[in-house]
Amino acid sequence: MSEKPFFVGYLPAPGPLRGFLILISVLLIAGLGTAGYLMGAAQDDPGPGAFRFDYGRQTVTGVVEMTPYPVIHVVEGNDRIKPGDSFMMTAGGKSGVDSRAMPLNGQLAQVSGIVLERGDLYMMQLRGGRNGLRAAEGDAPDIAAEPQGRWQLTGEICDGKCLAGAMRPGRGLAHKACANLCLLGDVPPIFVSSQPVLGTEFLLVTGPQGTRLPRDAYDYVAQFITAEGNITKRGDLLVWEIEPDTIRLAGEDLE
Amino acid sequence: MDTAQALVMLMQGWGIIGALVAAVFLVIGIDRIDEDAQGAYIFRPLLIPGVLLIWPLVLWRWWQIESDAAAWAARYRPVRASYGPAVVLMSLGIIVIVIAGLSVRQSWPDEIAPVQLSAGADQ
Amino acid sequence: MSVKYTPVQWNANKWFYDAIMLASVAAFLWVFLYLTPQFDPATNPQIHNARAFGACAFVMLSVILCIGPLARLDRRFLPLLYNRRHFGVMTAFVAMTHAGYILNWYFNFSSSDKYVGLLYANSSFGQIAGFPFEIFGIFALICLLVLAATSHDFWLKFLTPPVWKRLHYLIYAAYFAVAAHISLGILQDQQNHIFTVLFMLGAGAVIVLHIAAWLAERRAPAAAKDGAWHEVAHSSDFKEGFAKIATLPNGDRVAVFLMEGKLSAIANACAHQNGPLGEGKIIDCLVTCPWHGFQYDVRSGRSPAPFTEKVPTYRIRLENGMVEVHPDANPPGTYVEPVEIVSQAPLMGEPA
Repeated sequence: MSEKPFFVGYLPAPGPLRGFLILISVLLIAGLGTAGYLMGAAQDDPGPGAFRFDYGRQTVTGVVEMTPYPVIHVVEGNDRIKPGDSFMMTAGGKSGVDSRAMPLNGQLAQVSGIVLERGDLYMMQLRGGRNGLRAAEGDAPDIAAEPQGRWQLTGEICDGKCLAGAMRPGRGLAHKACANLCLLGDVPPIFVSSQPVLGTEFLLVTGPQGTRLPRDAYDYVAQFITAEGNITKRGDLLVWEIEPDTIRLAGEDLE
Repeated sequence: MDTAQALVMLMQGWGIIGALVAAVFLVIGIDRIDEDAQGAYIFRPLLIPGVLLIWPLVLWRWWQIESDAAAWAARYRPVRASYGPAVVLMSLGIIVIVIAGLSVRQSWPDEIAPVQLSAGADQ
Repeated sequence: MSVKYTPVQWNANKWFYDAIMLASVAAFLWVFLYLTPQFDPATNPQIHNARAFGACAFVMLSVILCIGPLARLDRRFLPLLYNRRHFGVMTAFVAMTHAGYILNWYFNFSSSDKYVGLLYANSSFGQIAGFPFEIFGIFALICLLVLAATSHDFWLKFLTPPVWKRLHYLIYAAYFAVAAHISLGILQDQQNHIFTVLFMLGAGAVIVLHIAAWLAERRAPAAAKDGAWHEVAHSSDFKEGFAKIATLPNGDRVAVFLMEGKLSAIANACAHQNGPLGEGKIIDCLVTCPWHGFQYDVRSGRSPAPFTEKVPTYRIRLENGMVEVHPDANPPGTYVEPVEIVSQAPLMGEPA
């Protein structure tokens, strides 16, 4: 033991120790560089959702419907958004447009903003104030609600905006707190179904009888769950009224 | 929300008291209790974050030194005995939390199909 | 060791240490951020950055935690211990950057304050999956900040090494919290398992090395019999310039040094950080601590002027060739006349 070189911090390192220390130094730099590559390369694909700034600002006119989350059923479209389409709306940041949309419920309105798109899901982030949403002239056609029966679905409750591309990745448990914050801010929640249901894997999810997503369900946000509830088709959008007491983790039996 | 707000206010309060303690300690106290600090000023700003974070400990030690309350021998008694329990607890904790975390991990249930339980009104 | 405190007492080894440390961190971050394949559409830059800094902090913390037990098990690693505090401070900065990206992205853009949002957005405390794992990250970050903020030598002297060391035991709680933060966070989502494997390798290395160092420590000879005087070793076992360490019945450790044929006993705990003086050696007639090179006159336990550190000394005697110390320590800096080894076989001289 006594023959071993003795290192004193403020003195030059002893000769035999120098080679060892240089080796450790090289290993450390190379090791951290390699770890950086492996950890960086191991990241998952965040999925196809994104803000479509390349589409430019979209302005269409349609009927506002509170489901209770505000939806617009397009009456007068443009070259991208066709009459008959229905989509959800949000404001900038983690907030919805409820206060602006409520007075216009059932009326014709003009909406303007940037589209967020993920596969066949899209929603619009409206411009601020009346530039984003204002009453339009004309009579609002009736939007029929078509009940589709009661369904048991398996999948994940997400906040619609992050999922659609405001955040990449915008779902999963690491993102759960952010999703909750969006939902608390009235961003519409979306259920991603494990397999397409009535032609789509994305459904607007609400509480029973047209209520908002109940707080009980927040514990299950971003987890993979199975639950039951009625599906209604509003315009071309499916709305699933989830029943909170039927929610369980996917793969678990109902007690 | 209220709890969260209270916690944030608590942290702000902690920091404000810490700032007061830092001001008094670094301007007056440090010269009284450590001769090596007398005339040394450049290093003092480095101590501010520490005082902000652990000001109760600072006040306690300041009082101890001023009142000569601590036995000198305590300074030379390394805390070896706690090392074992500390690393064993840490190791067990890590093993438990990793196993717990991986055991509740879910994979995307794409094998579970939607089930229609009852027909819609117009179907 | 200075008479007056300075922000950092630089020397060539510290410059070299910091250069290697910064190069490693820069290599990790640069490779992670710019050399790994990107998706289209890409992961948000803020999330990409947050992940890079978070992963980097985990790797740095794992390396730091391996240094201690490695140096215990193999003395060649002691130089890595020498300036470890700079590594720790850097880790706190990297972890804080990670937290900053998370806070300003996931918890920003909402109508509530982002700190309040961080604490209340997810309140699913009753479950493992979906648990607000951010709490573990906050706790670990606070620990790292406390440790970094109290890393200046002033704190050692002010708090005393045992209190300082107890405070710095928070690192173990912090590392557990980091493991929990990762296990209940990114590990729940990540489909590519390379990160999971690397994480378990890192945490596994920390666990194995610490348990090994602890077991090695436990195998060290324990206190022998009680009594007024305590036997250390036979005088012929001593080697010029080095010490034998004995554990006294009260648990304190004493280092008995042989210098110029005479024996002196001082406390084994360095006044700076309670480093093991008995594992040091005598350089230029001064006991030199293996951790940070603090020096003491072996006869008085005093650092040479202008330094002011002092360690306790012990009374020492020779009984039939057996070296014995009295377990009651003298106040730090008390001079004790060294005991000459007489009528012994020729000393095993130390050529160094």
